[in-house]
Amino acid sequence: MWREKLELHKSNRIAALYPSCKFLVVVLYSVCSLLLGSIGVGEGQYSLYLIPWFLVVPALCVASGIGPRFWKAIQKVIFIAALILVVQALLIPSEKIVWQLGFLKVYESGLRSGINLSFSVMNIAGIFVWMFQTTENREIARALENSGMNYKVTYVFISTLQMIDVLGKNSRTIMNAQRARGVETEGNLIVCAKAFFPSLVPLILGAITNTEERVLTLESKGFDVQCEKTHLFNLERSGHEKVVDVIAIAVTVAVVVWRVVLWIL
Amino acid sequence: MDTVIEFKNVTYSYPLTDVPAIKDMSFAIERGKFYGVIGENGAGKTTLCALIRGFAPSFYQGTLQGQVLVEGKPTTDFGPGELSLKIGYVFQNPFNQISGVKDTLFEEVAFGLENFGVPVDEIERRVTEVMKLTDIWQLAEKNPFELSGGQQQRVALASIIVLKPDILVIDEPTSQLDPEGTEKVFKIIEMLKAEKKTIILVEHKVDLIAEYADEVMVLRNGKLIRFGDKQEVLSDMSLLDEGVQLPQMAILGNKLRQAGVPLDTIPVTEAQADEVIGRAMQKGRA
Repeated sequence: MWREKLELHKSNRIAALYPSCKFLVVVLYSVCSLLLGSIGVGEGQYSLYLIPWFLVVPALCVASGIGPRFWKAIQKVIFIAALILVVQALLIPSEKIVWQLGFLKVYESGLRSGINLSFSVMNIAGIFVWMFQTTENREIARALENSGMNYKVTYVFISTLQMIDVLGKNSRTIMNAQRARGVETEGNLIVCAKAFFPSLVPLILGAITNTEERVLTLESKGFDVQCEKTHLFNLERSGHEKVVDVIAIAVTVAVVVWRVVLWIL
Repeated sequence: MDTVIEFKNVTYSYPLTDVPAIKDMSFAIERGKFYGVIGENGAGKTTLCALIRGFAPSFYQGTLQGQVLVEGKPTTDFGPGELSLKIGYVFQNPFNQISGVKDTLFEEVAFGLENFGVPVDEIERRVTEVMKLTDIWQLAEKNPFELSGGQQQRVALASIIVLKPDILVIDEPTSQLDPEGTEKVFKIIEMLKAEKKTIILVEHKVDLIAEYADEVMVLRNGKLIRFGDKQEVLSDMSLLDEGVQLPQMAILGNKLRQAGVPLDTIPVTEAQADEVIGRAMQKGRA
């Protein structure tokens, strides 16, 4: 039977978790990240707990069997986080200077804000990377429908995820066409911006025009018909969801209690 | 005559315009026949298709005068999805016909059947059959976005054929395809014709219309200026003056006749030209 090929048989127990369980982990991890970011350490009140906390994400990814894919995806996030850290540390002035090299001064408040912001970004983006790298779009779609969400909303959600790739490809095609006409598309930031922003107009207009045909195609395929839909792909629970839910909630409660105790003290 | 679609004095205008895209059109389509629709750009071919399928006026809005009947019932009286099982519609751009929510071609073709709640076993049987028929079975595990234009158009056809509609409206399916892709698409259309489906095909490649269609409709400025047997319509040289393209064989036949070759009829297909010219040459020798 061909549909057996569509079934997912993940050998990794963490990767095989039900999408809603993974989503709970993502939400609680993000909440914990924000709480830990609010705890200042040492004289400078830096959010240093966020640094070891971030190690949870690569550990989770390696345990889920997606180490190399995670590294590929997180590189850009690390670059952005590093940029935020440098800009904040150098540009938010305060009386206390932590470090100085010539005209470059790292201010205490800038460093505090930079560490908080950059590691919060890395933690939250990292946990989302884990979820999306271990979960296929069709798993998310089925889980959403199983949770009672309208199939039209699910369609919008999933097609939007797919369309990001498609729009990326279209954007490259438009840029290539501009290059072929002699428009400068490479160089400094201003040159790139000059080439990029005009390309948004055909990209967006093209996407809007295509939407009409896409809607009619859906109509042709009976998308609007009110009946019980069939699904070729069925999603099963791995059986470890409850354990993971309990661990995630327990860790979050511990972090919340710790944070409240520190406030009181 | 088993009429399946009927236009009764149909005039249709899109919203925000006073100029009708279709003007006072009346005709009847017979079940099981293949109709080729030709005409220059802006003649109203796509609007005609949209009216048959009921997209106009239900989706496009606009003003409809007269009646478009499918099996005797006005298209405006059909419920959502009801016409999808009767009339399959294939659009010009293969890329836009991909649902965008399926990871494999097999699931993509099955999408329509899932929407209609067809049991899984039947879906599997029908999808397998149609994918083999349209020669895309070997691509079953591929992502629909990774295919070539020709392959995507065959997927679009398969996704509609799998719903088993009796009527197929196909709007310029080969406009973005290379000759090989075009040939494969027409092979599928030929198979559908053999299954006695009613086919309405809009196509600029008149030679292909001459080859496959039973009857031809010629549109110009929203009006139906010719409608009838392909031989009769496509050998009418006066259409050239109205900006309508005619098959190469018909033009060749006409030129031969003007040069004094005694052709008994103007051929519209290559095979017919072979016969007609052969007969004329025999006459000449005798």
